[in-house]
Amino acid sequence: MTRGNGWIGTILRINLTEGTIVKEPLNMQDAKDYVGARGLGTKYYCNEVDPKVDPLAPENKLIFMTGPLTGTAACSSGRYEVVSKSPLTGIIGAANSGGHFGPELKYAGYDGIIFEGKAAKPVYLHIDDDLVELLPADELWGKGVHEVTDALVEKHGKVRVSCIGTPGERGMLFAGVMNDKNRAAGRGGMGAVMGSKNLKAVVVRGTGSVFVAHPKEFMEEAIKARDMLRAHPVTGSGLAGFGTEILVNIVNEVGGLPLRNARDGAFWDKADDTSGERLVETHLIKNQGYFGCTIACGRVTKVEGKGDFDCFGEGPEYEAGWSYGAACGVNDISAIVKANCICNEQGMDPITLGSTVACAMELFEMGAIPESDIGFPLRFGDAAAMVKLTQMCADGEGFGNIIGLGSYRLAEKYGHPELSMSTKKQEMPAYDGRAIQGIGLEYATSNRGGCHVRGYMISPEVLGIPMKLDPQVAEGKGAVLKLFQDLTALCDSTGICLFTTFGIGLPEIAGQYREAVGSDETDEEILLKGERIWNLEKRFNIEAGVEKDTLPPRLLREALPSGPAKGKVSQLQTMLAEYYAERNWTAEGIPTQEKLDELSITY
Amino acid sequence: MLVKFFATYRHIAQCKSCDVPAPRDVLALMGELSQRWPAFQNLLLNDDGNDKGDDVIVMVNGRHIEHLDGMATPLTEDDYVAITPVVAGG
Repeated sequence: MTRGNGWIGTILRINLTEGTIVKEPLNMQDAKDYVGARGLGTKYYCNEVDPKVDPLAPENKLIFMTGPLTGTAACSSGRYEVVSKSPLTGIIGAANSGGHFGPELKYAGYDGIIFEGKAAKPVYLHIDDDLVELLPADELWGKGVHEVTDALVEKHGKVRVSCIGTPGERGMLFAGVMNDKNRAAGRGGMGAVMGSKNLKAVVVRGTGSVFVAHPKEFMEEAIKARDMLRAHPVTGSGLAGFGTEILVNIVNEVGGLPLRNARDGAFWDKADDTSGERLVETHLIKNQGYFGCTIACGRVTKVEGKGDFDCFGEGPEYEAGWSYGAACGVNDISAIVKANCICNEQGMDPITLGSTVACAMELFEMGAIPESDIGFPLRFGDAAAMVKLTQMCADGEGFGNIIGLGSYRLAEKYGHPELSMSTKKQEMPAYDGRAIQGIGLEYATSNRGGCHVRGYMISPEVLGIPMKLDPQVAEGKGAVLKLFQDLTALCDSTGICLFTTFGIGLPEIAGQYREAVGSDETDEEILLKGERIWNLEKRFNIEAGVEKDTLPPRLLREALPSGPAKGKVSQLQTMLAEYYAERNWTAEGIPTQEKLDELSITY
Repeated sequence: MLVKFFATYRHIAQCKSCDVPAPRDVLALMGELSQRWPAFQNLLLNDDGNDKGDDVIVMVNGRHIEHLDGMATPLTEDDYVAITPVVAGG
């Protein structure tokens, strides 16, 4: 006799226009087919929303969704997903976050929340087990993430808070949803969608539990995975010791660290100034882990005695360390920590923001943006100007509002859309697709625009996990990327952290999933769900009017001027042909009806 | 030739980099570094001392030695080598 299957079995549907709250049963067939979190949230979204919807209109919906492993004893199982159509890209925007919020939502008795419509005035959703109510948020509107979180904890006691800052209220296109203060469903502007609904926060307290189908077998799988994570040099000690920013020197060493908006190649003699090693020496207070996490890669950091750069918070991660570091040509780590702190305090995606500042720096240096538009000179390497512009973006002040459009719209406004280092209008993170060929293919084909965690080809191409691929070779990357995309879609959807895949693989993820939900499916059948999720996202994007899979012209035509990959450009077309064939899509990158039927994708 | 250390290997070497006379190949370099800093001994080389350790990444001029000639990759004074434990991020 079992008491559960990893799920609670209940979804909250909140119509903000009507002020109604409905508790409805979870669609178990979709949960089985699309796993949970990213996959299940996207399936609900595709079932209910017109792909042509204006992302910031009341007709759009916003979905918070947990996975079947969220809140269980599985390692790093604090994850949930925020899903909607992205106002930045116009395609599916699914953003994943850890912390404690996701588990707390399940302990309160809900697997997910679907927000519909738009409230007449600012509100927040308060959940205390069975009690679910919309409360006025007038006094919270206009306040930042940390201040709002503190106020709600003071009012409601021991609660977990997910909320937006003021950029989200204004519909800034890459505003994120923040939970537990510094954890972010950061990319694609999910915070802007939340703000467009006049929804400031979700506050939850739960006293229940999550039950799995086979408790004994599940614990055996969870302990096996935990032991593997502890024994692995990356997940056992490396990430805890140096955080993700440890990658700076290594990626620079292979000549793959994009420098000054990728204008000056991808090899920097000042990279070490912004490295994880340097962060440990200068500003690290301690490492940090959240719900059920044995990896604890988070950074608690503090800047003191640096004037305007003084701050206390978390991060930066490697990607933010790059966007405010190498991308802007800034080697002052105090400024990088400060800019990242501003992003966390106000809920903004630091990858897009830093990369957009870098784009503005290039446009300024070439004379395309007059100083009068910005209000001050904006040259590469100017740490003070970078931090000032980040604060202006947070505050919605002057040129900061133009930065808040993202680099694509910024570069287009000033006549040079080719200088936006983005794919499908979302900025590419911290690896150069000329030096590391497979990551370029990943950026081009990512279902949410420029993104490193829709496959993470850095693992095989640079780190040799689980196998070593030559980063400068194009052949063979399509097949590996397909596998990694499907596996990351599966991992994101279970409710565990993607970083666990440095130490465990499909057998361990599938093993935990199987015993939690009570399935007898094989590893391959479970991985197929990842492929189903990927194809569903792709189909939605095509119906939404997605642009083709490509890279910025710079990566296709401008050879790297220095470093180990000197002379290289992306061999995208070679890789795309192989990739589409591996996916059984058309030569134009469209899923065939045969493939959709094979995966039973209907909506 | 220049040898660069990353992550915890900096703690062992107590420096970010050092200059050493170029040995004939990577295997010889690993042996020399292990002699100079005994704490490297069980990290850079396997138990038999004839291959690299499981958890070390070695790059010569920015190229992983797996894409060169492995531990037999020849070295000259003009080369630079980076050595790091396996780490990850993102």
